[in-house]
Amino acid sequence: MSSDQDQLKETDTEARFEFKKAEKSAFKSEKGLTEETIRVISEDKDEPEWMFERRQRALRHFQQMPMPTDWPGQPDLSEVDIEEIVPYIRPDIETRGGAENWEDLPEEIRDTFDKLGIPEAERNALSGVGAQYESEIVYQNMQEQWEQKGVVFMDMDKAVREHPELVKEYFMTKAVPPSDNKFAALHGAIWSGGSFVYVPEGVTVEMPIQAYFRMNSEGMGQFEHTLIIAEENSEVHYIEGCSAPKYSQFNLHSGGVEVFVKDGAHVQYSTVQNWSKNTYNLNTKRAIVGRDGTMEWVSGSMGSKATMLYPSSILKAPGATDNHITIAFAGEGQNIDTGAKVYHNAPNTKSTIESKSISKDGGRTNYRGLVHIADGAENSSTAVECDALMFDNESTSDTMPYMEIQESKVDVAHEATVGKIGDEDIFYLQSRGLDDDDAKQMIVAGFIEPITEELPIEYAVELNRLIELEMEGSLG
Amino acid sequence: MVREISEARDEPAWLLETRLDALEALDELPFPAVINTPGRRWTNLAELEFESFVDPLTQSDEKDHIGPDSIEVLPFSEALESHPELVESAFGSVVDPQTNYLTALSAALFTSGTLVYVPDGVDAEDVKIRTRMNSRSLFNYTLVVTGTSSSVTILESQETGADVEGARYYSGITEIDAGENSYVQYGSMQDLDQETYNYQLKEGVADTYASCNIIDANVGSRLTKTSVEVNLEGDSSESKLVGAFYGYDDQHFDIDSRVWHRAEHTTADLVTRGVIDDDARSVYEGVQDVGGDAWDTSSYQRENTLMLSDESEADASPKLIINNHDTEASHSATVGQVDAQELFYMKSRGIPEQVGKNMLVEGFYVPVIEEIEVEELRDDLQEIIQSRLMAREV
Repeated sequence: MSSDQDQLKETDTEARFEFKKAEKSAFKSEKGLTEETIRVISEDKDEPEWMFERRQRALRHFQQMPMPTDWPGQPDLSEVDIEEIVPYIRPDIETRGGAENWEDLPEEIRDTFDKLGIPEAERNALSGVGAQYESEIVYQNMQEQWEQKGVVFMDMDKAVREHPELVKEYFMTKAVPPSDNKFAALHGAIWSGGSFVYVPEGVTVEMPIQAYFRMNSEGMGQFEHTLIIAEENSEVHYIEGCSAPKYSQFNLHSGGVEVFVKDGAHVQYSTVQNWSKNTYNLNTKRAIVGRDGTMEWVSGSMGSKATMLYPSSILKAPGATDNHITIAFAGEGQNIDTGAKVYHNAPNTKSTIESKSISKDGGRTNYRGLVHIADGAENSSTAVECDALMFDNESTSDTMPYMEIQESKVDVAHEATVGKIGDEDIFYLQSRGLDDDDAKQMIVAGFIEPITEELPIEYAVELNRLIELEMEGSLG
Repeated sequence: MVREISEARDEPAWLLETRLDALEALDELPFPAVINTPGRRWTNLAELEFESFVDPLTQSDEKDHIGPDSIEVLPFSEALESHPELVESAFGSVVDPQTNYLTALSAALFTSGTLVYVPDGVDAEDVKIRTRMNSRSLFNYTLVVTGTSSSVTILESQETGADVEGARYYSGITEIDAGENSYVQYGSMQDLDQETYNYQLKEGVADTYASCNIIDANVGSRLTKTSVEVNLEGDSSESKLVGAFYGYDDQHFDIDSRVWHRAEHTTADLVTRGVIDDDARSVYEGVQDVGGDAWDTSSYQRENTLMLSDESEADASPKLIINNHDTEASHSATVGQVDAQELFYMKSRGIPEQVGKNMLVEGFYVPVIEEIEVEELRDDLQEIIQSRLMAREV
């Protein structure tokens, strides 16, 4: 085992996420949402007029759309009151758009990300890293060799100013329009921060790019926007990590992710989400995949009070491929409603969805997924596999797949299983000298292994560590 | 109008009251649930103008009631006279008349129906109820009550009799009360003409050790919304729900198959197989709902759809709702065409493509047909499948 793994294993994961910093901000918007709020945010960011207009349009959509309440078995969102949310907090740093040197950051922000292991990770295994604190990116760095090849990795706010033509074309126009759903509209109105990634034609970014999002203030909403454009035959792996300390009041995270996978390109988007258990995590993530392109979504949902997240891929040209790997873990008081959405809109497109969920101590997991195969999408195939593991009788595990097949020359298969941890398996491991807790942890680790295999090592270790933490001492 | 129907049949006061309550509730009741996905509603029932083809006072049908002498197979009106208490206690005991708009409409307006009563310890086979619908609209109620340790196999079929201009509407509610340690297989064969809109709800309750099984075969109608539901209320009860459909032209089938595990050691097995051809569309929702008290549950679901044409559409949603961890549950669903490799094998054996394809489609239905115990239902279903396959343009 390498030294960084050891280092990660030894750190007390709970302490790493749970610390709080005194709120210290350069600018904090009023609670709630009006046109005035948006004007203030836009002015504080010194945005061009067209972006302000887009925010206004999104706000109008938000005001007109009803809260989603009629989904079967959906998480209760009645507590989510936009009027109670502080939508925008600019951290108190001098360099807008992200410092380039770690040392330039204020002490408490640097300490936060040090504890989360960000600079460590950057030195070891990443091509670039971004760190967002409250509403804005505070640190962003990209290794020089990638910059020279034309790879762009910058704060989304900065990209609005520096790459207006690209942002104008792609920002919430093609993949996630504000009219898509109420929280996408909200996001469009008050988005702030996030990453902009541009990979030129034919460039392969060999090491992953990472962004880390951290909410520190109580009652805050974080609405970062990530826009990834992978030009033809390029390749990139983007990793997103999220955390927040727990407060009594709820927090809201409503991110937007748009990925454009051009012909022959390959994008992997990995998330390990460990929001505090008072956070509502309502995201819209979507990729548009071109000819022979591949989109891979890898998500681990561990934290939050309620998550509604269904990363989607639109396979719009022949030969496009989508792979989804999701893992959800719901403990006490958590409702993790997650899944996948794939539209097969062209011939010879392929998708695989692999979902694993674990529920314990009254937690609820739900797989909710849609596969749509359009008329004319000949020789398309999809395989969906959902497995759920339940620890106790207070927990709930649901599976709700939807399949819409309008083309006959297809191969569609869906499979799901639900079960408890086998007493025999535990007995066997006990007979080998493991105690009950260790045996269960080992079974869970084996259950999610197909997913951890797909993650870069430090994330896999992180995920395993989080699950161990969730399971520690509370097993009966 | 409801009074007129009830008085003409000299019905007891409780039934008139149930009818009137259902009528009154109509405005507040929703249509049966259908699946919505972003931008799509899989079956739009609210769009149908029920008023235009519901004509309650002209209802007319012909019915055969066939069964062994050891049990009662009675037209509803006769049953009301000979078994008043049984009918009163069974009616509405499984399906609340006010479940939705269409069940309430049925309760308010039904003129046709059957009681099947199997006394304790009696074994009966091959009960047949055949209905020919002769009017614009027909509302039917079937009650099946089985006593302790009894068994029965039933076929209920619907087809169109006399010609009527324009669209028609058939609505059938079936309530099955499977008593302790009894065995029921209730099979339904719906072959109404393609002018008919069809709504059916067949729901059963299984007592301790009971086995409540429903077969739902749909080949007819313009549009069908059918739900098969079983509540496993008794410990160690079980259920097998079998569905078969064959849609062609522009038929639309919306099929629900649901089981509610509500007691310990219950077992359910849901199997549905269907073919769609031409512009037909099938919509399937399967639900396995395991309650918090349903310890030691086993629940399995399989759904397979074959698409024979490019214009057809198959939508499917097999759902698992699990609230007890002492459960072994699985489901699977597939959509596809006749297997190319199997077809190639047939061709290599000298069988012409079309013949081979038809054989494979017939073979596809075998796991479903094998479950059917009433021979007439088995034969009818096989015959229709064969004749539709033969009639396909090559």
